[in-house]
Amino acid sequence: MPRIVPPEERQFALVLALLATEQGLTKEQILSTVDGYHQKYDPNGDNANLERQFERDKDALRELGIPLETVDAPGEPGNNQLQSYRVSKGDYELPADITFTPTELSLLQLAGTVWREGSLSGDMRRAMIKLRAAGVEPDGSMLGYAPRLKQLEPAFAPLTQAIERHEAVTFPYLRPGRTTARRHTIKPLALFQFRGRWLFMGLDGAGRKLNFLLSRIVGDVVSTRERFDPPAGDHSTEALRELEELWQRNTATVAVEPGSDAAMRLGRRYGGTTPDGRLLVVHYSDLALLADELAGFGPEVTVIEPDQVKQAVLSRLEATEWAHRDREGAA
Amino acid sequence: MSPRPAYAADRLAFLLSVVPYLIDHPGVTVADAAAHFGLTPAEMQAQVERITGMGVPGATKTYGPEDLFDIDWDALDTEGRIYITNRVVIDDAPRFSAREAAALIAGLQYLQSVPGSSDSAVLAGLIAKLARGASAVPPSVAIDRGAADGALAVVRDAIAAGIRVEFDYLNARGERERRPVDPLRLESRDDVWYLRGWCQLRGDVRVFRVDRMENLRPTDVPAEHTPDEIALSETLFDPSAADLVVEVRLAESAIPAFAEYLSDDAKLEPDGDGFVRTSIRVAHFHTLKRVAGTMAGLLTVLGPPEARRAVADWAAAGAARYRTAGAEDG
Repeated sequence: MPRIVPPEERQFALVLALLATEQGLTKEQILSTVDGYHQKYDPNGDNANLERQFERDKDALRELGIPLETVDAPGEPGNNQLQSYRVSKGDYELPADITFTPTELSLLQLAGTVWREGSLSGDMRRAMIKLRAAGVEPDGSMLGYAPRLKQLEPAFAPLTQAIERHEAVTFPYLRPGRTTARRHTIKPLALFQFRGRWLFMGLDGAGRKLNFLLSRIVGDVVSTRERFDPPAGDHSTEALRELEELWQRNTATVAVEPGSDAAMRLGRRYGGTTPDGRLLVVHYSDLALLADELAGFGPEVTVIEPDQVKQAVLSRLEATEWAHRDREGAA
Repeated sequence: MSPRPAYAADRLAFLLSVVPYLIDHPGVTVADAAAHFGLTPAEMQAQVERITGMGVPGATKTYGPEDLFDIDWDALDTEGRIYITNRVVIDDAPRFSAREAAALIAGLQYLQSVPGSSDSAVLAGLIAKLARGASAVPPSVAIDRGAADGALAVVRDAIAAGIRVEFDYLNARGERERRPVDPLRLESRDDVWYLRGWCQLRGDVRVFRVDRMENLRPTDVPAEHTPDEIALSETLFDPSAADLVVEVRLAESAIPAFAEYLSDDAKLEPDGDGFVRTSIRVAHFHTLKRVAGTMAGLLTVLGPPEARRAVADWAAAGAARYRTAGAEDG
């Protein structure tokens, strides 16, 4: 009985073999020689299972960020059987001038724990393992903090992947202020966090730029597999700047109950109150979201102007009261 | 959700990382290498022995001794030290994947709001290094710089110095009290920061929202309780026997937004029109009325009656302000 080679050993052997080859190895050469494959290889028979194994291992290598290259045989472009595979050492290795100090390592460790709960936690674990290769010990300078990006939004991982691969995605979305979701198909360009909320920006079918809140994506984000050419530019920085401008432009004046939770929290978030401590100017990027937040403060906040914010908050308060008041004579 | 082969992927990342580490640290003890990678010495020894069986298919298309990693076995057996004597192909650590780099960069950008890490030149340098150290361009991820709360720095210094802090605290009921607290850990959930600390008034560990603290001051009293001595749970709010059980009707589309109030084993029973019924646990109705107020049309409290009344009264008091304000305007 040949020894059973665990998957990570087979994949490790594959990485070593692909790094060692200059001109590349064909699938045939890999399956017949590399440890973990050759034990199961049948030179005369059907190796379909082994070939599928190889396909999965290629995906596993790419997931880990190993830059796998395929090289067409001279004069035979696109011929899968003659294609060969290699990993260039320069593209594989962390550049020698990239080193980390103990303080930087402490920061990176803390940055990694930010994702502890989410779908990126596996990526983070592996990034931390790679960081240890340099042998630097963190200096403990960030102890006492346990920050978390809650990332309840399971959309984060499929969106980063779609942005990376330039693939359109489809997902059901509940717009703030609505009660039913609608399906959108979007070419995603950037993911960003603004005032504590995760958003992504992408292009719709008509090429318009739209922002979506991750917390309002109410079902799976699925890639359509349809590729697109993204326009050039630093999209997340630009999206943040545009949202910031919008936020600066949109203001509402509210009266807050002195000493209340609303006075304290809105005051800290939006800067100072008027000298008498009662009036506060709040900024917003989305009217419905602001109205939701203000309605939660109940009698601690009263909107003075503009009228549309006032109406939005009042209609929410009335709807909430109506839904919770037991009416006389009701069954 | 597709099952992720997290284990095999972690082990491959380990093999690719431990080899360059051992090459860079000839003669490292098994114990030190184990501690560095968070393994037991026995696990590390087993991994080292396993690496010596691996390599590349050589000129003859088979694995000969010169094609395999090897170590100084005497040094391992007698001194517990690891020397790689034959190395194969790899010398340096692998690059980060684009997603790993993007997630680390987003984490670092988030940390820009944390005092003690706010040296923006260090962070900017690190972010540039990560982008350069990735095997593909990381997806564009960015986080705005929220205003850092000065209270965080005060609490952070008190934790480091091991001293008690005092602050006025407004709880969700709207009551204000001066609280002497031994600070244990600063935690955040997205943009909200919490202090977990030993409250001298309550004689127990309590969670405080940093943005509800006022007149925060470090004292000169050494903390009685320290982070090493008190084991804190991973979850911020632990369910307590004193919690109230509340029945709610919730729009299915609002489940993600409401997830932090739902326990892992919450039963969601379909209730027609895209709604579900479920029960949640809350410490008191004062938190509930605020949450319900932000979810008009998406969340209805079904019972008990006191909970419904608390929500209705809160919203009604808010709505009444507009009628009074209108009258004042004439």
